[in-house]
Amino acid sequence: MKLLEKLFDRAAPHFRPGGRLHRWFPLFEATDSFLLGSGERAATAPHVRDAMDLKRIMISVIVALLPCVIMAIWNTGYQANTALAALGLPCPGGWRGHLLAAVGCNPDSLVSNLCHGALYFVPIYLTSVLVGGLWECIFNLVRGHEMSEAFLVTSLLFALILPPTIPLWQVAIGISFGVIFAKEVFGGVGMNFMNPALAARAFIFFAYPGQMSGDQVWTAVDGVSSATALSTLATGAPGHALSSLNISWWQAFIGTIPGSMGETSTLACLIGAAALLVVGIASWRVMLGMLLGGIGCSLLFYMIGSDVNPMFSVPPHWHLVLGGFAFGLVFMATDPVTAPHTFTGRWIYGVLIGALAILIRVANPGFPEGVMLAILLGNVFAPLLDYFVEQANIKRRMLRHG
Amino acid sequence: MAETTTRELLLRPIFHRNPIALLVLGICSALAVTGKMDTAFVMSVCVTVVVACSSFVISLVRHHIPSSVRIGIQIMVIATMVILVDQILKAFLFDLSKQLSIYVGLIITNCIVMGRAEGFAMNNPPKASFIDGLGNGLGYGFILMTVAFIRELFGSGSLFGIEILKLTSNGGWYVRNGLLLLPASAFFLIALLIWLMRTVDPEQQEND
Amino acid sequence: MAKESFFKPFYSVLVLAFVCSFLVSLASVGLRPLQESNRAMERKKNILLAAGLLHGNASDKDIDTLFAQVEPRVIDLATGAFVPPEIMDPKTFDQLASTNDPQLSHPLAKDEDIAGLRRLEKYSLVYLIKDKGKLKEIVLPIRGKGLWSTMYGYVAIDSDLRTIDGIAFYEHGETPGLGGEIENPAWEAGWQGKKIYDDEGKVAIKVAKGASKAKAKAASYEVDGLSGATLTGNGVQRLFHFWFDDQGFKPFLERLRSENGQEEGENG
Repeated sequence: MKLLEKLFDRAAPHFRPGGRLHRWFPLFEATDSFLLGSGERAATAPHVRDAMDLKRIMISVIVALLPCVIMAIWNTGYQANTALAALGLPCPGGWRGHLLAAVGCNPDSLVSNLCHGALYFVPIYLTSVLVGGLWECIFNLVRGHEMSEAFLVTSLLFALILPPTIPLWQVAIGISFGVIFAKEVFGGVGMNFMNPALAARAFIFFAYPGQMSGDQVWTAVDGVSSATALSTLATGAPGHALSSLNISWWQAFIGTIPGSMGETSTLACLIGAAALLVVGIASWRVMLGMLLGGIGCSLLFYMIGSDVNPMFSVPPHWHLVLGGFAFGLVFMATDPVTAPHTFTGRWIYGVLIGALAILIRVANPGFPEGVMLAILLGNVFAPLLDYFVEQANIKRRMLRHG
Repeated sequence: MAETTTRELLLRPIFHRNPIALLVLGICSALAVTGKMDTAFVMSVCVTVVVACSSFVISLVRHHIPSSVRIGIQIMVIATMVILVDQILKAFLFDLSKQLSIYVGLIITNCIVMGRAEGFAMNNPPKASFIDGLGNGLGYGFILMTVAFIRELFGSGSLFGIEILKLTSNGGWYVRNGLLLLPASAFFLIALLIWLMRTVDPEQQEND
Repeated sequence: MAKESFFKPFYSVLVLAFVCSFLVSLASVGLRPLQESNRAMERKKNILLAAGLLHGNASDKDIDTLFAQVEPRVIDLATGAFVPPEIMDPKTFDQLASTNDPQLSHPLAKDEDIAGLRRLEKYSLVYLIKDKGKLKEIVLPIRGKGLWSTMYGYVAIDSDLRTIDGIAFYEHGETPGLGGEIENPAWEAGWQGKKIYDDEGKVAIKVAKGASKAKAKAASYEVDGLSGATLTGNGVQRLFHFWFDDQGFKPFLERLRSENGQEEGENG
């Protein structure tokens, strides 16, 4: 460790203004602070003592995401192995089949499920990190900004909201769009008004719907069609759509159902939510608001009922465990940069997203899932909400003191 | 802009004072008709003809237009031009006029036309007004064609309807980008163009 | 600028309005015949496309020659009988406009309106294509609601009155690239040879979800779906089920069949 420190200390002058390698300072700083911690000290008042900095926030989010990652890997493997077992096939074809030969493809084996899932999740995640990181590097070098860990969170979130069968080149295009259009054009980390991971997903959702929706994409076995619970419900019998599902509520809660890799398990999301709340990163107001908005809206539809639209009859407690509702609630809507900053604003924002997500699910015939679009729309409204809350505050104070 | 040459009048609106990229006018039709090169081309020609001719006519009669009713008169001239163009398209280019549907009629509300009439033609001689209209139409067309080039090539795999990249849906290798088929994608492309143009020519950047 | 008199605005607006309206009406009247022939040509083209008689780029003259073998007729949808041209001229009958006429159409109840039409016309156009006096194909106009919009098209039926010879959708507002692919000739070609009615005479044609996996006999009633456009596909299937059942062309096709059985009916 000492040696390393010496090395960095000796190299530092070259990267400081005037040094030969000044252009590459962002990269140097990133490596230095990642390995050794930041050498920056506040030299003048005010001094705020807080253990929390951007780096810690990002790392905490990644830790909170771990249950979802593990579940994503296991469930992807489990779904694939179950499908293979149902087809009576011993192993999948291609390079994954060769690698899997050692552990086999048994849906009851933890190791086999994890290995099989990892063979799908890891390439997607690596692509997302490398391409996202590359863009981040290019922009930071050009602008002379310091690197931030935010892109690690973005690329992990992005990998978790994709179906396992997504082609890697689409992952690359998607994350490029997300990083450039949703973040860098607005000035980089902290300046974005939209969640880059969601913007990336929205981009490939509209650009390549064949690989992002439908029945073929959710299970990583060729030609196996397995609809997500939401699209099954959307085509079910009006009045009692639930009877068309062959999964129990608990299955949906634990997440052993087909879907976007990291989104299926409400349980894993809840563990993550607990971690984020304990550390104090995520806003409980947004979470609770979105929960209430979702429950309220779905309860309303449930009570109105409909004899043509099967989605009306899905009860609220089902809506919460299906699709990306829980994942969006915990990890996407609470993103501190894109959510409002006022407390009242956060309440309204949460309720708005929750209600919109259910509204899109139920009332729009084209999209079975609405969480992604609802959160993006919420992002767009966030500054406006803040503005109105502030104006209301100013007015109230004027009345009181003016 | 005291003395400007014909050349400048014609060329300046294409890059340095582009009506879409700098003034952000005429966005509506730029979103709607840029899915294919041929519709974008016809639309560009229509707008160019309408701007040039209406500027010319308005400039011709500018000394006889009382300022109290000048906007009404300008609209009347523009509307007449647009209806003429629309009727001619329906008669001679029926297929394309069907694809352009209401957007030819909506040239009446295209701010570029009105803007040039009020901003230039009312104070300049007919010839200069005509050239100015022509230049602005070309500037509009330049953006439209660029956007349509990208949208058609990567969205439909073709240019002017001729297949370039064979689509998977027709048994080829190219997976089309469905977003580019949707009008909203033109927003991103126009934004990119504005970014590019303002980087090349920093004079266009606004100070904040 | 000279000082404006009180009357000048009125006078200049009047003069200009007169000149403009003259120009506009001149264009409108002068170009109308051309525009109308364009519209008629468009309709003929779509009918021929559905019937599979037109390939590639045909000139207007080719279309006219090909259309010579097509005989437009008006039928009464409820009874399936031909309406004599003296009572309703197929050349001037506007079927779509007639759905707004309470005399010529009736509202559909919600449960029978599976194609989302709201109102159904009493009379419909049909196009008989004959070869040396013998019926070869019938082209029928169809329409129905897809995911976002009403889709308009033509379907050509073979002389056995249950096999599809071809379809052509010519107007719709479905998502480009997904549902919008209903106008892709490659997809429309997949309808050729499919059977609308099963052996019992029930409407059996289906649009699969994704590529059709039906085998043997079932395959002759099933068309490949459009990938990523299940709901548009459902709409297409529903409109077929509407138009080829009792409310639609079924009475007409049955009547035609029984007449054909008697060796060249009155329309031979």
